[in-house]
Amino acid sequence: MELGFSELQNILVDSAKSFFKKEAGGIVREVEFSHEGYSPELWRKMAELGWIGVVFPEEFGGIGGSFTDLVLILEEMGKALFPGPFVSNIISGLAILEYGSESQKNEFLPKVMEGSFIISPALTPPDPRLGEVVKDDRIIAVDGGYVLSGTRLFVPYAHVADFLVYRADTDEGTALFLMDAKAPGITCTPLDSIGADKPCEVVLENVDVAKDRIIGESGNGEEIVNKMGQWGALAESARIVGMLERILKMSVEYAKEREQFEKKIGSFQAIQHQAANMATDVDQARFLTYEAAWKLSEGLPARKEISMAKAWASDSARRCSLLGVTIHGGAGVSEEHDMQLYFRRAKACEIAFGDGDFHRKIVAEELAL
Amino acid sequence: MDFDFSPEEERFREEVKTFFEDHRELAAGTREEWDSGLGYGDNSWEMLKKIGERGWLCPTWPKEYGGLELSYMYRYIMMEQMHYYLNIYSTVGAGMAGPVILSHGSEEQKKEFLLPIARGEIEFALGYTEPQAGSDLAALMIRAEDKGDHFLVNGSKLFNTRAHYAQYHWLGVRTEKTKPKYKGISLFMVDLKTPGITVRPIWTVGGTRTNEVFYDNVRAPKEALVGELNRGFYYILEALDYERISTVAGLERDFEEIVEYVKNTGKNKDPVVREKIAGLAIEIESARLLALRVAWMLDNHQVPNHEAAMLKLLVSETEQHLVNMFMQIFGPYSQIQRGSKWAQLKGKFERAYRDSLESLVTRGTSEIMRTVIAQRGLGLPRV
Repeated sequence: MELGFSELQNILVDSAKSFFKKEAGGIVREVEFSHEGYSPELWRKMAELGWIGVVFPEEFGGIGGSFTDLVLILEEMGKALFPGPFVSNIISGLAILEYGSESQKNEFLPKVMEGSFIISPALTPPDPRLGEVVKDDRIIAVDGGYVLSGTRLFVPYAHVADFLVYRADTDEGTALFLMDAKAPGITCTPLDSIGADKPCEVVLENVDVAKDRIIGESGNGEEIVNKMGQWGALAESARIVGMLERILKMSVEYAKEREQFEKKIGSFQAIQHQAANMATDVDQARFLTYEAAWKLSEGLPARKEISMAKAWASDSARRCSLLGVTIHGGAGVSEEHDMQLYFRRAKACEIAFGDGDFHRKIVAEELAL
Repeated sequence: MDFDFSPEEERFREEVKTFFEDHRELAAGTREEWDSGLGYGDNSWEMLKKIGERGWLCPTWPKEYGGLELSYMYRYIMMEQMHYYLNIYSTVGAGMAGPVILSHGSEEQKKEFLLPIARGEIEFALGYTEPQAGSDLAALMIRAEDKGDHFLVNGSKLFNTRAHYAQYHWLGVRTEKTKPKYKGISLFMVDLKTPGITVRPIWTVGGTRTNEVFYDNVRAPKEALVGELNRGFYYILEALDYERISTVAGLERDFEEIVEYVKNTGKNKDPVVREKIAGLAIEIESARLLALRVAWMLDNHQVPNHEAAMLKLLVSETEQHLVNMFMQIFGPYSQIQRGSKWAQLKGKFERAYRDSLESLVTRGTSEIMRTVIAQRGLGLPRV
């Protein structure tokens, strides 16, 4: 039993804290309304530290670290609200690593980690009851490949991506296509969203894709999509944990300083009890996430643990970001104060890769109910 | 990071499980006695002695005092298995009185009490609460006057559970009128058969027996004092942190029972039921991890303070979610009591719904737990 971290992990965390402190101050507001929605320059700097490659093997340019190492980096990213397609690159890369051909691995993995290549998962078909679908799915088999049309929603940073991992249903089952995002016939439109993290509508019109661009075996696609969902859920849980820790810290600091009725508001029981609830909530999210990461690191099945972590972290994100706002009173509601940045991004993270309801369904399955 | 036990610890766990499986009837009898709300009966004492003679009740203690000199993780493993099979995860002697005697007791006290505690032969009843002293423990008023060769004790205690079957009273008394009040409190160990002590039952809504205890000119020997005079409050605080440590194995066992019943009664396909059960499973797992954290801290010689309070808070509130969930799933059937036709699972959760209320206010109320987390964990100001 070891619930502490290794010396290397502590060094990793320290270097992450330093990086964000030195480089990322104010970055969130800076990029919120920019075209990219993140800073390519900071992104490259971060990639140089090797972080995108943390869970990838050294033979492809990675560090050969564990999912726990990844979770620790994501926690720090969460604290800093560091924007960018970190999770997209990682889960796309992992899909290629676990299921791709040798030539796909050699072609893509080094690029994924290097810092100027963005690859994003385009997995979600639109619900026609909720908006206008400009292009319905259509797939035509041709010699050596397919011609695809269709719409995918909520594709992170697709508008600046180099490649997409595009999910389509072929005659042989679900397939994931490694698709050049700049190819003719592809239109990526960033949607304004609460978290300002640039989820895009991606529309394909008669786009050619070769068969050798399918990741893994045709028909394997469902399994890969599920796996990507698991990696994504774990990653977002870790990011949420970092955000919650920062929300708690900010709230406690504020409560220790803010005076009303000639007392620090932190001495009032209502504030103390809300803070205690938050602290408990955060520790629950933290340990559920660490347990899921540990299981993945050990190569053990982790579907239940990942869904437990994401379900709790999702609801916790909502609960604690709300408390963070209300503890700050008027300041918490203002645009100027940073708390609203956490509040909005908490919602985006809650939703990403499945919210509490979604993951509780999975837990129920895993319990063999 | 590693959430597994070591191979040796895992072997110990298997050994303990096998022991309880081999003593299935005695374990079930013990659990029934505990669940009756009446305290230790014959089965319980026999079981505790069997556990104690193996050194398992206090496995971290020195061998000369009945322990096995094992690391804390072994105690955690024992507590988990006892919780699961007996619903009794520790005795007050092993969990609270013993550690204080070990740290602060005289040599004579160690010789007299530790071995019987470790062997499961004696039990202690906590004597803290009084009508005017609950969360505000320092307001206790029971007086112990120094009469030269003995103390004369007068006063009363309230909600002293176990006083009707424990051999000793772990008594917080006032030995001096001081400001602040906590500086005049001492800790005594009193034989509950001493003349002048009267124990009267009080029944909780859950059907559990607790007691009023009256001290009418009770002569306690000088040797009853534990540690230094007027330092008792510090020892009590120390013991309270230990009191808040538990495992969730009881909840896990109850959860398993509920899930099986839900499946057997065909309610497992209802999506609302599935959602509730999944939510509870997640909460129980998170509580188990917080229990592991406290165990790991103790195993590494760190002192859990707000972490123990957090654990106690979470376990008692998760228990509420568990009993609520059962009642919600089984609706009007869930209210039917044991012994009645149409009772569900012999009315176990109807009683648990009532009995679980106790956990919200004993060993530190949920509100006090939150205050401890806020002030000692987060550093929020007292005033």
